[in-house]
Amino acid sequence: MSSAAIAGSTVGFAVRTANLTRCYGTTAAPVFALRGLTLDVARGERLALLGKSGSGKSTLLNLLGGLDRPTSGKLSVADRDLERLSARDLARFRSTAVGVIFQAFNLIASRTAAENVELPMIFAGVGPRERRAAARQALEAVGLSQRLAHRPAQLSGGENQRVAVARALVNRPQIVLADEPTGNLDSNTAREVMGLILTHVREHGATLILVTHDEELARESTDRVVRLKDGQLI
Amino acid sequence: MRPIDLVTLPLAALWQQKTRTCLTTLGVVFGAFVLSASLSINDGVQQTISRESGRDDVLRRIDVFPSWRRQQPAAPAEEVVVEGKMSDAKRARIRQALAAYNARQTGDDNGVMLTPETLGKLAGIKHVLTVEPDARQSAFANLNGHSESLVLNSARPGDPAHVGRLVAGRFLEDPSEHSAVVSEFLLYRCGITDEESVESILGKKLRVEVRRSRQQPGITVYLVKPDGAERTREEAEALAKVARGLPMLLDKLGLTPDEVKLLRPDSASEPSELEDEYVDEFSVVGVVRDPDEREKNDRRWWESNVDGEVFLPYQAAADFFFRFPQQREWGVSSARLLVDRLENVKEVFRQVKELGLTGNAAIEFIERERFQWLMVFGGMTCVAAVALMVAAMGIANTMLMSVLERTREIGIMKAVGAAGAHIQFIFLAEGALIGAVGGALGLLMAWAVSYPGDAWVRSMVAREMNIELKQAIFVFPPWLALTVMLFALLVTTLAAVYPAWRAARIDPVAALRHE
Repeated sequence: MSSAAIAGSTVGFAVRTANLTRCYGTTAAPVFALRGLTLDVARGERLALLGKSGSGKSTLLNLLGGLDRPTSGKLSVADRDLERLSARDLARFRSTAVGVIFQAFNLIASRTAAENVELPMIFAGVGPRERRAAARQALEAVGLSQRLAHRPAQLSGGENQRVAVARALVNRPQIVLADEPTGNLDSNTAREVMGLILTHVREHGATLILVTHDEELARESTDRVVRLKDGQLI
Repeated sequence: MRPIDLVTLPLAALWQQKTRTCLTTLGVVFGAFVLSASLSINDGVQQTISRESGRDDVLRRIDVFPSWRRQQPAAPAEEVVVEGKMSDAKRARIRQALAAYNARQTGDDNGVMLTPETLGKLAGIKHVLTVEPDARQSAFANLNGHSESLVLNSARPGDPAHVGRLVAGRFLEDPSEHSAVVSEFLLYRCGITDEESVESILGKKLRVEVRRSRQQPGITVYLVKPDGAERTREEAEALAKVARGLPMLLDKLGLTPDEVKLLRPDSASEPSELEDEYVDEFSVVGVVRDPDEREKNDRRWWESNVDGEVFLPYQAAADFFFRFPQQREWGVSSARLLVDRLENVKEVFRQVKELGLTGNAAIEFIERERFQWLMVFGGMTCVAAVALMVAAMGIANTMLMSVLERTREIGIMKAVGAAGAHIQFIFLAEGALIGAVGGALGLLMAWAVSYPGDAWVRSMVAREMNIELKQAIFVFPPWLALTVMLFALLVTTLAAVYPAWRAARIDPVAALRHE
């Protein structure tokens, strides 16, 4: 698929990739994490990416989240051709267009729950008063109104993941990328966290791309499941 | 990012590592302290030197002295005949010594004297306002029927060193006025003992007599008194008679004809006048008290001599001094020039030297002093700069460690929207904050230490140099605070450039995997 074809047909799609390739290593010994992957995700769709470790799920999520750049191929997310964006624009894209939830929470240990949630708004240029209110509201929405001033070490795993969810969703992103968001949680907590994500997605019409090993979770939480193996869709 | 966040984020990061931040900042504090103290005391000392030496136009004065060195070479050494057999090297040495010896014997090695002609040349130098010859000479002063042997001093009209000691009348107002100011002690010695009588002397004439022996072949007679006192006018007159009559009495002293011949040159065979006497009268216009101990001790090297019993205005004193022909030939012992503007002093001094004279210009001494202090404090400033550089290296090292430790945090920030420039700025701001806090604390510390330091320096100067400093030795002008702050900021920010660049280049994907 050509670039022009992608550019001309992104209407209605949150994500479009064409021949997306990500290669690590050297020219002499290349390691392909993604091999010519082509995938379309409609706006508001909930998609699950299933696959074994090393299948390329996280690499694809990093590319979709603007954390990494493809080696080749086309990548359009939220109406932006990511491979063409400058580093500054890519950073702005990360802070406004997508919200990423990691399995390992990835909270800054030295900052409180509220400060962690404020972080994307800081880089998006939101004023202090406004972002404090938004962070409080986001944490209240995930049931942590009593934990605003707690640091990650003072919170449980489930609470930390709720903080991470609040941080990912606080800027009302069009696309939510969740990389094994319940992987470190017990089943009850996992259900609660997943419920929060899905609630947001439904309420805001956002697109969800969920990376998971859990087939049941994938079926229950998403509209479509795709499988990856050796960097390719199967 | 908003400007406030560009400060709060680095502050939060520094606060997170309090101990490390404190230790890093301490290095900057020390460097800034030494830098502030060095600049402060340097500026203060320079100002103090200028202030203390700039009183009474001292920097515009040049003290000129006659030069005793030969200006024109004597007979060429090559023309001097050296007798005897000797090596060429020894012959050359003896020839040089003989040439110098002959020049001394014949008076050819006279230098440039401060004669009326030379003083006229000095007065003719462009930018010279006044030439004050120091025409002091010993004389007999007759007042109220008493004759006293003393030294006639010349003084500058309106000289504050004298004006402050006036007890009656006024001080000299014009360099040429035919007036005199006398000391109350001289009045006492002349029988004017009552305090009420002091005023009565004003307007009276002070008769001044100067006697000088002629420097001609013959016999000179001196009177040495048991108590070492000066000869009186009457004794001087009697001695002159003895000197005149002595050559004629040689035949009656039991000398051999050869001895008589030796002691009686042809010109002395007939009685002649061997002394000149010059007399003048000056109106007494003021009376000064003697200087007290403090005035004597506190006198700076450039200030006028306050000792003396009769003060004549310098021009009138010089005119009287030069009446004696040989004194016109020898000149005065020194002269003080006053130059119109400070920037012309060096040029005038150069021209004075071109006349073959020597001298002292206070400005040269002051500049040497200032240069020496500049060197000392320049060295201190270098030490301070090195201290700040070392602190900067510490900061660079600490921040590089910080980048490593905060790799995951940097990755998280990038994942949620931080651009490389944001990360770079956060680290640069951390360096700048350390510089700002360290610089400010160092400055504050120097300011605090300046109080006891200043008191100590002042007491030391008062004790060792007998100078009461009126203003502080440590000064903190705005430029100093600005310089220290900017320098500390610059050094620490520069130290953060490389760590910041490293931090900005961190790959977020790799950083999020970092443990």
